[in-house]
Order: sequence, then C-alpha cells, then structure tokens
Amino acid sequence: MLRKEAAVAVINGKTRLNSQSRGCSEQISPSSPLLSALTGAALMLPGLLYPAAQAAESDSLDFQYSHYQEGKRQITGLSSDEETGEYKIGGIKNAYNPIEVESQHGHANVSLSDRVKFAFNYTQDTWGGATPVATAPAVFGNNREVYSDAGTIAGASPLLTGQNGGKVLFDSNRKPVAYALPGEPDSGLLSSQQLTHVLASASPETRKQGDFKLTHEWNEAALSLGGGISVEDDYESRFGNIGGRWDLNQKLTTLNLDLSYTNSDTHAVLDHDSLPYLDYSHYRANGQLTKTKDSAQSSILSGGRQDWASHFGITQIINKNALMSADIGYTRSTGYLSNPYKAVSVVFIDPLNQNGNLPPGIIQGKLKPLLEQRPEVRNQWNLGGRYVQFINSLDAALHFDYRFSADDWGIHSHTFEADWVQPLGNGWTLTPRVRYYSQSAADFYTPWLVSEQAYRQQPANTGRNPALPYNPNKLPDHFSSDHRLSGFGALSGALTVSKTFGKAVTLETGFEYYTHQGSFKLGGGGENAFADFDYWLANAAVKVNLDTFVGSSHDQHAQHGEHGHHHHGSHAPAGVMFDHLLPKAGDMMVGYRYMYGSQGGTILNGDVAVNDSAIVNRGCGPNPCFLKPASMNMTMHMLDLMYAPTDWLTLMLMPQFMDMSMNMKRLSGAPNDDVANNNIGNSAGSNIGEHIEHHVQNGHETGGIGDLGMYALFKFFDDGTHHFHATAGLSAPTADINIQLRRNHQVEGGFIHYGMQLGNGTWDFKPSLTYTGQLEEFSWGAQVNATVRLEDKNKSGYALGDIFQAMAWSGYNLTDWLSASVRGVYTTQGSINGRFNGLINQFGPMDYPGSYGGKFWDIGFGLSAAIPSGDLAGNRVSVEWLQPVKDDVNGYQLERDGTLSATWSLAF
Amino acid sequence: MKLRCLLLIWLLLTIIYGCTSVKSWERGTLAKPQMAQEPTPLQSVIRAHIYSSREAAGTAGAAQGGGCGCY
Repeated sequence: MLRKEAAVAVINGKTRLNSQSRGCSEQISPSSPLLSALTGAALMLPGLLYPAAQAAESDSLDFQYSHYQEGKRQITGLSSDEETGEYKIGGIKNAYNPIEVESQHGHANVSLSDRVKFAFNYTQDTWGGATPVATAPAVFGNNREVYSDAGTIAGASPLLTGQNGGKVLFDSNRKPVAYALPGEPDSGLLSSQQLTHVLASASPETRKQGDFKLTHEWNEAALSLGGGISVEDDYESRFGNIGGRWDLNQKLTTLNLDLSYTNSDTHAVLDHDSLPYLDYSHYRANGQLTKTKDSAQSSILSGGRQDWASHFGITQIINKNALMSADIGYTRSTGYLSNPYKAVSVVFIDPLNQNGNLPPGIIQGKLKPLLEQRPEVRNQWNLGGRYVQFINSLDAALHFDYRFSADDWGIHSHTFEADWVQPLGNGWTLTPRVRYYSQSAADFYTPWLVSEQAYRQQPANTGRNPALPYNPNKLPDHFSSDHRLSGFGALSGALTVSKTFGKAVTLETGFEYYTHQGSFKLGGGGENAFADFDYWLANAAVKVNLDTFVGSSHDQHAQHGEHGHHHHGSHAPAGVMFDHLLPKAGDMMVGYRYMYGSQGGTILNGDVAVNDSAIVNRGCGPNPCFLKPASMNMTMHMLDLMYAPTDWLTLMLMPQFMDMSMNMKRLSGAPNDDVANNNIGNSAGSNIGEHIEHHVQNGHETGGIGDLGMYALFKFFDDGTHHFHATAGLSAPTADINIQLRRNHQVEGGFIHYGMQLGNGTWDFKPSLTYTGQLEEFSWGAQVNATVRLEDKNKSGYALGDIFQAMAWSGYNLTDWLSASVRGVYTTQGSINGRFNGLINQFGPMDYPGSYGGKFWDIGFGLSAAIPSGDLAGNRVSVEWLQPVKDDVNGYQLERDGTLSATWSLAF
Repeated sequence: MKLRCLLLIWLLLTIIYGCTSVKSWERGTLAKPQMAQEPTPLQSVIRAHIYSSREAAGTAGAAQGGGCGCY
C-alpha cells in the first residue's frame, strides 16, 4: 500500500480462457438427425462445446508482465519574481519521478480429475515514485523550489505546513493570501484561489499475492472454493471465497453466485521526519499508534478492516449470435478504511489570537494537516450489464459493458466500455477498446478545511487517552482530500494484439492510455484541474494451452523412447542453464525458471567472519561504516523460449524478472550518524546521516524486469551417449539500474546500492561449453561458462565484475520418471569497476564497489520428475538446492545461505 | 430507483428466456474465442486492479477478495 488508497482491491479474477471451438463445429450439417442427436448427447458431457458463457477453462499456464507509468503531476507554489522580488503563483518544477509499477502475474490451471480443476495465481507488484499527500492553496507555499549547487531549479520540496511554519493569511473575504514580498506586511497582498497537491516520494516496495481456486464441475453446475493472501510491508490481506454456477434451460441460461470475505491489516510506519508537521492525535486517542521496535522516533499506525462481498450474475444466450449478462453486487466494508499516508490541510483560525503585526482586515490562521479520517463503514452496491454481439460479415465480436455503482459515502459512478474483437486470420487477433468512467465526489471529500478554533500545541506523545489539540466537534465527522474520492471523469483507449501459434502458445501484448480529468465528470462539477493526471499501461503475456499437447506429446515421447533416455530422459540439475539443444529442426520448448537466493548471518572479509568493530573501521574504505546488511533475498523468474531452426542450432530467448529485499542493522561501535555527513564521496554540508535511521527502519525493496538473455546453442558432437555443444549468448541491459531512494529530511536518498539494482546495465557476452553423457540409469555432465562485460561502465557509471564458472554433475534415474542429481560448482567474480556517477549515501560495505564478487564453492542436490504419460505428458519439473561450501569474498560481504532453483519445461 | 432498475433487468431477462431457442448445433459461433465474455482475461485482471486503485467505484464481476497493492 503506497501513500495509498486503503480500499481493498477486489480483483476481478475472471480468468476464463478463450474456449476453443471444439467438438462439433459449424461445418456439420444440422440437417442430419443422427448428428443432431449425437450433438445433443455430447452437450451433456462437461467441457464439450460450451458456449463462451459457460466456457470451462482449459488446462493452461500463463505468464504476464505489465508496466504502469503515470505522467508527471502539475504542482504550483510561490516563486519570487526575478526583478521585483515579489511573490507570484506559478508552476513549480516537479523533479520527482511519478509512480511506476512493475507487475508480474503467473497463472496455472490444471485438471486434477475429469471433474476437479485447480487454479493458482501468483502476482507480484513493485512500485515507487511520488504521489499527493495533501492539497493546499498555492499561496500557502507548500511547494518550494529547491536549487541545485549550480543555482538552477532542481525541483520542489514539500512543506506540509506551508513556508511560514504553519502561519497562513486570509483577506477579509476569507480568501487565502500572502504578502507580496516575503515577510513584509506593507508590501501588498497576493491573492489566489489556485489549489495544488503536495507530493511526497516513496522508495520502491513490493507486494506479493498468492491465491487458488478449486472447482468441482457437474454436468450443469459447478462449485468453487478459493482463498489467498497478499503481503506487503505495511498491508496484509487474507481472503476466502465460495462460488457456484448453475446452467439452466439447456445451458442457454447460467446463474452465478459468489461470496467472499477479506480480512486486512494496516501497519504503516509514520516517518519521524513528517511526524512534527502532521496531526495524528485522532489515531493516538483511538489507541492505533504504537512505537516501532527499531526506532524510537517513529510510530506505527495500525488498523484492521473486513470486507464482505457478494455477487449474483445471470448470463443469457439470446440467439446464435448474441449473448448478454447482468449482475448485481454488494460489498460491506468495516474498520480502518482510511489511507495512512494521506492528510487534509486544516487551517485553524483562532478569533482570540488576531493581534500582532497584521495589516487591516487580514486574518491569520495556523495550517496543520490532519491525517485523513474516513467513515469506518462503507456499503457499496453495483449493477452491471454486458452485451456481446457477433458480426457475421467480419467474423468479429462487439462487447458492450455498462456498470453503475453507488455507496453510502455519496459516490455514484457510471462506467461504459466497448471492445471490438477482430480475428485477422493466421492466429492474429486485434482488440481495440474504449472506456469512459465518471464518479461523483464522496460527501466528506474536501480539498482543504478551515476551522474557527484554536489549535493548541500537541500534547507529548505519551500517556493514555491524551486530549486532542482541537475540538473535534468543530470539524466535520469525516474528511479526506484524496482526489480519488473527488468528482471526476476518465477516458481511456486501448489496443491488444495477440498471435496464437498452432493453438498451443499465444503471445499477447497491449497498450492503454488513461486520462483522469475533473472536467470529464458526467454533468459537470468535477474537481479543478490541479488534480488531473494520466497514465499508460503496457503488458505482454505468454499463454500456453496444455490441452493441445495431449496426443502430440505422447507421440514425441514415444519417439524419444526409441533411443533410450535421449535428451528428455536426462536433463541436467535445475540450476544448470544451456544444458541441452532441442532434438530436431522445428521443435519448440517453453520453460519457466525460478531462483531464490538468500544471504544472512555473518559478515565475511575474505573467508573469515568479522565482528562489528572490524567492519566499522575497515569495511568502508576511507570512511567509517555505520550499517551492515542483516539479510538479503533475491528472487528471479525467468522464461525459457527455445526454438530449433535446424538440427544443430537452437535459439533461446530468456526474459527475466527480479525482485530483491534487504534489511540493515546498525553496527555497534559506529560513530554518530552526523559523522556520515563528512564521508568522502558525499556532497559537503548535507545532513546525509539522517538517512541512516530510514535504512534501519524500513529495509529496502526493489523489483521489475531484468536483463534480457539471447542465446544460440551449437551442437558439436552427439553419438547418443556423449553430447558436446557450445553456447554463445548476449545479455541486453533491459533492467533498471538507476533506482534511487526517496528524498527526506531535505536530502536526496541517492542510488540504492549496487546489489539491489535490477541488472547489469552493460551488454555482456556469455559463452559456455557443455558436455553431457548418459548410460542406462546414469547421467553426468560438465560445463564451463563466462560472463564478459562488453562495456567499461553502464549508464549509472559502473560495471559489475566478469564471471567465470565451472561445474560438474552426476545423476541417477531412481524410477522411470524421477531422477536425483548432485553437482559441484566453482564461481569466481571480479569486484565492481567504477562507481555510481551520482549521489550514493555510503553507510555500509554494500555501498562500496570493492565489496562485490569473490570466489565461491557450492554443492547442489537436485530432483527431477518427467511426466511420462497421461494428460500432462511432456512436462518436466526439477528442483535443486545449492548449498554453499566455502566463500572467499572481495571486501566485506554477507555470508550466503544457499540458492533454490526450480524449473518447469514443456517441449513440443 | 435501484430496485426499479433491477426489476427492469429481471423482466427483460425473463422475456428473453421465454422466447429463446438456440439448438445445440447452432452454438458454434457462441463458442468462438471472440465471443468469450472476457476476450483478454489476463489483461482484465491487471486493468481491474489498476482501476480499483485509481477510482472509487466497486469492481465488476465475481466477489474474489484480494490484496491492496494500491499504489
């Protein structure tokens, strides 16, 4: 949850795959009574010729990547005229990176029996960037220009209480004003009604969700049971659901009923640097604030919520070319429904405190942002309809959707969407789409507030039931200035292109552009333009239909059986890449690799464990160390796409998706944080040491698309027992290596350290030589591989060290489908060349290029299962645990715990 | 108004229900992929998730429960 709407996303998990036209098709003449009878009988069987409305999902494996990118938000504030020095209202340079989100989504659907299906989803989002925390009149000066060392405007700094420490002015008409010249009451007044967002940035963080659904199908009904969990740093959600489907009237009508329950907890760390500027006393009085364990200066805001959702739908086939559906849903949410990172600017005007040096008619107030307070109950209804019409002359389908939603917060919304699905032949399909959405504002939405009362000093952050510093009866019961609760309209357009290869594999890509504008609201009256924003969303997906392999994989397997355990009988352990070519020209393979690496425990220098004082004194070169890594986890998801244009050559494309997390600890015996301000390599005069607390408090997370591997495997020798091949590969720098930590304490966070960047950033050459052999139940192999950087430095100024690796393994077939393996690996990698070409706050060994690479010895234990027959024949699943035996690291590094590799592959 | 809307839809569906007769061998078109209710199901999941983090309306479709990730 990031600065974050606390509404639970009830994901529309409709994951029905396109049903293939199976069983009877249009060519069969309806005039034959025998055929009619057979068709009728066939329809009684599950899975045969379901119209799209009741389409049973095929067995499938899907993987999707998507990128969400918001445009920069416009912000305004006070700037001084260069000649007169007078204030003016103007745009302030927004140097913050806007929100971007990298998402990966894996979906598997398999039949456990003829009647029972199991579906599993794994979703992972990593996001970072700036979002609005509050809204205020621009004359209050909540956005201030920040100048770089060279004197140019570098960006904006958010000031939650405005630029005069909370003191703001109004004219006699209660319009916000500022003195024309800073601090000079006689200089005249600058008056403006212009509002602006106040932005704050966030370092990257990751959410992971796993969910499943088990479905039992009967001839004319289905019952499903599902559940899942979603975990992120500050929000955790657990959910369960039950659903039923009932086909009536010879399957012309389908009824659906679903019920779900979600239980979620917020644990939001309120930054110690924003706490003095925010009022959170309402939540402290509620008992929702606690101290953090690691940092005495921060508080955690906790809240629980529950959501009950129900949904009833009916789908009706109207004629042989059209169907429609209607549904109604009700959701009841209770508990903490607010967003812990959103505040409302409240100006407290104390009528008894208007003396002092004020010009006539001018009123002064105190600006204090209060954490937003939404109602603790929400009842939401929604009603929708969908119409699908086949257009015979074009073989296309028009989909039209309308949805109305209303809740007791006063929000009413209308959504219109139209899709045109146009098959183009040869497996190509083009789907353009338009969508319009409009909502009215919540009753309690307000950009900012004025309250006629004094704001007293906040009482100390201790004790039970402390008094509020204001009278809550003089404020509305609920308030939020989250622009997502304002009145607005949104228009979006999208295009999806997909291509199916022989019914088995579908590649899909889509692009959507979305614009949110107050003026687009249906009937007018939406929020002003300051809240407008836009985004684009791009996605790419691979879908594998497992049903289409039934039969073909049998044949292939039989063919391989003729010459023993050739190729598919003896794959290398899961952690070995480039271990085999495809058997013959025209073959294809899709695969998925998962790798999880963990580091933790002791810090090593060379091969020796060292204590804190050694790290403080020697781990950071010319500077002292303040922090050490406590644990680090890395997860990689890789896709293997292989194709053999000839018998002796196999081409391979390997996109990768990474995510990493790291926790840090303070080193005992480290100097005070402010000593870091003078670190060699830091810009002078900054209070960089303030960031140390944030490193300890929050940990770091990054994630997203990794580098892209492209390989060619050449067969040199293959006599059935001994195989020898070479691989030449290129790694393209597609990953982000420019990830920065967020600015706070008016100091930039700088680059996140080298090991948390998502890729290499350089073009790399990756050659390898592989030998494999097998005789009866035994198999063995050896490989040498290298990674050579083709560039001296990447665009962030450094290059990772070259890698050389040598390994040998041996395997034994325990049964005809299961084999075990053992592997020895030696790896050596150089340290990093160069360093970041921008600010990196150097607090620990991981921030120094010398503490990367080393010599590593590992031993791996693996299992591999190949499914020899049945519906899933041709599938292979392997796992391997790589146990470190010895580390001899460059510089000071965290000891490795081990690496888990898992692979799935399917050849066809 | 909500109730009236609902009744209207119900009535409409009842009428359709009463007069439809699409024989099983006439359903080839309905089984085509472009006639699937969700023509791009994978993408729809992502889009619905983003709409729900950017808009206040209730999400469409079956009640599934789920996490936040509301950037």
